[in-house]
Amino acid sequence: MKPICSRPVSTAASRRQFLYGLGASLGSVAMTDALAKEATSAATGPLVPRDPMLPAKAKNVIMLFMEGGPGHMDTFDPKPKLTDLHKTESKTTRGLETGFKFYVGSPFKFNKVGQTGIEMCDQWKFMNDPEIADELCNYRGCQAESLNHPEALFHMNTGSRLGADPALGAWATYGLGSVNQNLPGYVVMTEMALPQGGSRNWSNGFLPAYYQGTALRPTGSPILDLKSQDYKSREHQRHALDTLGFLNDQHAANHPGHAELAARMESYELAYRMQMEVPEVMDLKGEPEKIREMYGMNNKDTATFGKQCFMARRLVEKGVRFVQIFSGGWDSHDYLERGHSSRIRSVDQPMAALIKDLKQRGMLEDTLVIWCGEFGRTPDNNKRGGVYSIGRGHNADAMTMLLAGGGVKPGIVGATDEVGGEAVDVKHPIRDLHVTLLHLLGLDDNKLTYFHGGRYKQLSQFGGQVIPELIA
Amino acid sequence: MTKTIHFLAASLIFTVSPLRANEFSDADRLFTMKVKPIFSEKCNGCHGDDQEKIKGGYDMLTREKLLAGGESFGSDVIVVGDAAKSFFIEAIKWEDPDFEMPPKENDRLTAEQIKDIETWINAGAPWPDEAIQTAIREEESRQLVTDEGMIVPTSGGLADEWTYRRYQPEDIWAFLPLEKPPVPTVQGTVENGTGYNPVDSFVQAKLAKAGFEPAPKADSRTLIRRATYDLIGMAPTPKEVYDFNQAYQKDPNTAWTDLIDRLLSSKHYGERWAQHWLDVARYADTGGLSNDYERSNAWRYRDYIIRSLNEDKPYNEFVIEQLAGDEMADNSLRSRISDPAAYQKAREKGDQYNEQEREWLVASSFLRMGPWDPAMVKNKEARQLYIDDVVNAVGQTFLSTTMRCFKCHDHKFDPLPTQDYYRMYAAFSTTQLAERPAPFLDSESQRGFEESKAIAKELYEFAKKHTAALTTKRENAAKAWYKENNLPYVNHSDRKDLPDESKPPRHVGLTPEETGQLKVREQDVWIWERRLERYEPLVQSVYNAPDPKFLNARKLRINTKPNPKAELENHILTGGSLEAPGEKVTPGVISSLGVPVSDNGEDPYKITEELDGRRLAVAKWVANPRNPLTARSFVNRVWQYHFGKPIAGNPNNFGVKGSKPTHPEMIDWLAANFIENDWKIKDLHRLIMTSQTYQQAGEHPESYELGNKDPDNNLFAYYPPRRLSAEELRDSMLRITGELNPDGGGLPIMPEMNMEVALQPRMIQFSIAPAYQPSPTPEERNCRSIYAYRVRGLANPFLETFNQPNPNDSCEARDSASVSPQAFTLLNSDMVTARSIAFARRVEQEADTIEDQVRRAIVLSFSRNPSEAEQTKLVDYVTAMIAYHREVEPEKKVYPTQITRSLVEEFTGEPFEYEEILPAFRNYTPDHSAAEVSPQTRALADLCLLLFNSNEFVFTY
Repeated sequence: MKPICSRPVSTAASRRQFLYGLGASLGSVAMTDALAKEATSAATGPLVPRDPMLPAKAKNVIMLFMEGGPGHMDTFDPKPKLTDLHKTESKTTRGLETGFKFYVGSPFKFNKVGQTGIEMCDQWKFMNDPEIADELCNYRGCQAESLNHPEALFHMNTGSRLGADPALGAWATYGLGSVNQNLPGYVVMTEMALPQGGSRNWSNGFLPAYYQGTALRPTGSPILDLKSQDYKSREHQRHALDTLGFLNDQHAANHPGHAELAARMESYELAYRMQMEVPEVMDLKGEPEKIREMYGMNNKDTATFGKQCFMARRLVEKGVRFVQIFSGGWDSHDYLERGHSSRIRSVDQPMAALIKDLKQRGMLEDTLVIWCGEFGRTPDNNKRGGVYSIGRGHNADAMTMLLAGGGVKPGIVGATDEVGGEAVDVKHPIRDLHVTLLHLLGLDDNKLTYFHGGRYKQLSQFGGQVIPELIA
Repeated sequence: MTKTIHFLAASLIFTVSPLRANEFSDADRLFTMKVKPIFSEKCNGCHGDDQEKIKGGYDMLTREKLLAGGESFGSDVIVVGDAAKSFFIEAIKWEDPDFEMPPKENDRLTAEQIKDIETWINAGAPWPDEAIQTAIREEESRQLVTDEGMIVPTSGGLADEWTYRRYQPEDIWAFLPLEKPPVPTVQGTVENGTGYNPVDSFVQAKLAKAGFEPAPKADSRTLIRRATYDLIGMAPTPKEVYDFNQAYQKDPNTAWTDLIDRLLSSKHYGERWAQHWLDVARYADTGGLSNDYERSNAWRYRDYIIRSLNEDKPYNEFVIEQLAGDEMADNSLRSRISDPAAYQKAREKGDQYNEQEREWLVASSFLRMGPWDPAMVKNKEARQLYIDDVVNAVGQTFLSTTMRCFKCHDHKFDPLPTQDYYRMYAAFSTTQLAERPAPFLDSESQRGFEESKAIAKELYEFAKKHTAALTTKRENAAKAWYKENNLPYVNHSDRKDLPDESKPPRHVGLTPEETGQLKVREQDVWIWERRLERYEPLVQSVYNAPDPKFLNARKLRINTKPNPKAELENHILTGGSLEAPGEKVTPGVISSLGVPVSDNGEDPYKITEELDGRRLAVAKWVANPRNPLTARSFVNRVWQYHFGKPIAGNPNNFGVKGSKPTHPEMIDWLAANFIENDWKIKDLHRLIMTSQTYQQAGEHPESYELGNKDPDNNLFAYYPPRRLSAEELRDSMLRITGELNPDGGGLPIMPEMNMEVALQPRMIQFSIAPAYQPSPTPEERNCRSIYAYRVRGLANPFLETFNQPNPNDSCEARDSASVSPQAFTLLNSDMVTARSIAFARRVEQEADTIEDQVRRAIVLSFSRNPSEAEQTKLVDYVTAMIAYHREVEPEKKVYPTQITRSLVEEFTGEPFEYEEILPAFRNYTPDHSAAEVSPQTRALADLCLLLFNSNEFVFTY
């Protein structure tokens, strides 16, 4: 098979095709939305949907990122041995904590749920629905490399610890484009605070800027400067854009060979359409009370994440390729019980609703849902402020994640050792997880490359392998 | 690796030995020299090296196994004597979608490699034994150059196959000695008054071969806009355009050279070109990663670059100062203060450095530009992260060589052995990071110190006060606990290590909210303490010493405490891993460039093993006129910034896999000429800009044919138009509106940025970073963008949207894709709206009627008069907008002086709130806003806004 993406999409040749493909109609910004859509779909623009390289199981991705690193032994990977060892001395050298260390038993009890027996701590009160559990794959074999938040976040999101490479979502939209041309192909939603490392986590890196994640902000304007100044009406703006179109037409007439002029005009057209479409997507007014209730949008604890999970479903339904939600506060070095129970509470109902909703709408089979953090947590802790603090350090050698839909095989895959210190079965580095996620989307990591800095670069950096156990 | 270093004779004799041993056939030779190296490099990773994990059951380590096949195919895999029937060939040609081998795009075999394997199979696929292979290799290695390529002498690879592999000279063009090629004679090259320009000869020779004429010369308006953006990064003023047009009519050549001279002597020249350098060097005012600590006084390096460019410092000196300025300063200090103790004291105090020595120290900040923070990283690993980063930065910046590519193994494509990586690594392994005291230079601006210090001080005191209140509350509760338990009070730090039973709970007396608040306040105390260091005369610099015991990016000072555990010996780290030290290495430079650093015959590339002097040796080696990479690297960058595209496509990677130069002779001629010309940068600008090639129009009459034959304009048949960079856009807007404060330098300025972003909470370790507060007055805010505060964790949204690069990675070329967020920010943002209002106010002051105002606005933005159609249309537009604005009343913008933050406490998972003060907004002079200007002004501002959005403004030709 011929690699489809081994060449930058925006070479001069394709830019020229882009221009010729659109003809002169783009000269006017006053074009109606319908016309614009038609014109765009006929074009070979950077975000136009492309066929996958391989038979794809998943078309879209919703990635729920738990920033701080959820403790695997306190969520989905029970370690009864830790309860026995609670507060006894630990001699391991894992993690960065120094001095006297002691084991920490999980404050939570665990149950097996559904036919595959997914193990969940008792804080999961919505996810423990067998109907949901049967859709879940709990993968326990992934290993990170960094013990520090930003590097580990960068690694999980971009395949590199350095924070300068394209994110998974950028690669996915680069490979597949996006169905809806009025919305960004890769959308990111964060909590009140940006995660450590900020927008580098959804950067286009060395890929062209079309593939960068667009952050929909939780409060205020969903996209920066999306709205006109308050004293400028929609009609005012139309008039302005028509006049701008006139200026640009005059200019383009004098520079017939300059293809980028048309691309830039088109970016104004997309902006104009997004100005309508994005607030519509964000607007919850039309939604029945039942849906708000289901996602926990009426409850203070779950309102933010609930709305974001709902938005994720709606965005994917509207043809957005990759949606990512960041939820922080999982870094429980201390007060583990309070910390993790409150974090679980904030995501439990929305996640359960998302999976159920996707399933009911028949979207789950081609939507891959991932729940993960940047690393797992240690079985032990050191004293903090001189007291036995019940919490856990950072652990790059073990973590836990959930996958659902999109061609994933339900059930438990892999294992960590008896205290959760490190992965011991179906053990894979992050790059293999990335290769597998691309594979599910019908993309071959070895062929989804971009020539940069004198080398064909790829998400896995230097190649990785598919984890067959995860695939249905 | 077992070999002693075996440099082949420095002067190579390019002859092919007529003698050839008779014990082996050509096919044996083909196998040994070609086929087997392909197997080892491309196949054995999955098919033999790891006998436990053989993919598809196919082992390729011996002839028997190779012919036997694997799980999916049998002995038909290779039909001895018949390549066409061999499935192996189908697989390596990627003809069968299920068997594309090797499977990675990066590893695909070249047509030539496939042909070699075919020839070998057709010849019976012989596999001579090891002894014969060794004999073949030895015989081969005696012939440095054959028709199959050249062997590049190096310090030696991990395996003989690598050491004796051959390269095509055109692939390793950049590593070969630099010789000045003759300038081709081209008919019809235009004489420009001072003679023919060699640039034109090279470009037009190639153009003529391709059957194209150069584009005609651009008009004078285009030329002055092009040159002004190019050299000072801003739009020309109408007066400058008028004067130039007048002069150009009289004598185009003189007008043009005068213009170039005027622009090169403008102080704005340094500001514009320093931005290019800082993109590559990765400048930022903070250290990035989890804490994103302020790098106080990083601005001194930024100003050093601007100053050096404006002074036309020779590039070789510029290089040496940045790589070893600290060593030069200390050597010079030591020559004045010979007593070791007195010298050491003077060095730590810094006050005895003279102007030149301070300048050198500031230059060494280059070595501090990468993101680095040892928080939560083990000491040894933190040091490795730093040294790997700095070695790579040095390679990319000065040598256009990506050093990380041969950190884990010998370079896959380039003549760069991993041994040399670790020799360079060793050269930097005694480089320690420190903020070093050195009084401000006379030329360094201390403007605004008092005002901004007062704000930082207030924030520091605020954080201190709240910390004290919370710790007092905690200690009062602790005292009560001790009393209740009949125990004597032990203070907070002393009771830390006591058993739990004999002390109060850790956060006694504090609610979970207060626990969170205390952590935030304590972090704020550190942050503002560090910010206050800005007003101390410190330099982000380095010094030479063994590794210190502790590292903390919060405070790095010269550390003289001995660390008995420090290791001074360096090893090759197998696979790049600290856990797998291999053979010992000593400090040295890259051997394959053939530029010795000593006359040590055995190892001429070795440098001193003393703590001091390693970097100075490296620096002198980089700046050695015989170093083939240094000048090529720099002239290529300069060319790229003039034309928007380089001669060699990857300015940070000249290796085999980087794009080859479109004009190989021209890059060599420019580089050699640059060195002959004492590395003078301004002369290089003059040479390039006085060429006909530079002065061509942005359109070619045969654009359609060229578009098909040369879509990327590799012929330079016309001047490639480009979108303005983020900084050019902002700076030009400020210049056109008349708001630009032309002074700059010293403390970073804080321009206004989108308020949602400025106040948005941003996670750092343990806390939220304080809000971004703009400078209180327009004069402070409206300096050029290069002076703007650059925070790794918080990009300025306007600049970032227009592709200001991420400072975590060296940027060899800016992206300029047109994306919708750019439209949002130019049409709707407060920042651009404020510029449009300032622009309208200026135009109103300079012209009375709407007609004249429209004309003036066009002249200011586009350096030309409006066409009749434009004039009519735009006057109508403004008139219509006046009617619109009479009916609306904009709201007045309010700036908060305090905000409430809300954060999830990381330990408890509970949200909590705290107050943050924003003193900058207390006495704030905002820009003129829509609410305070008339409907007429707003209507005119609407037009001004459109001009800033127009393609004519955003692109330069």
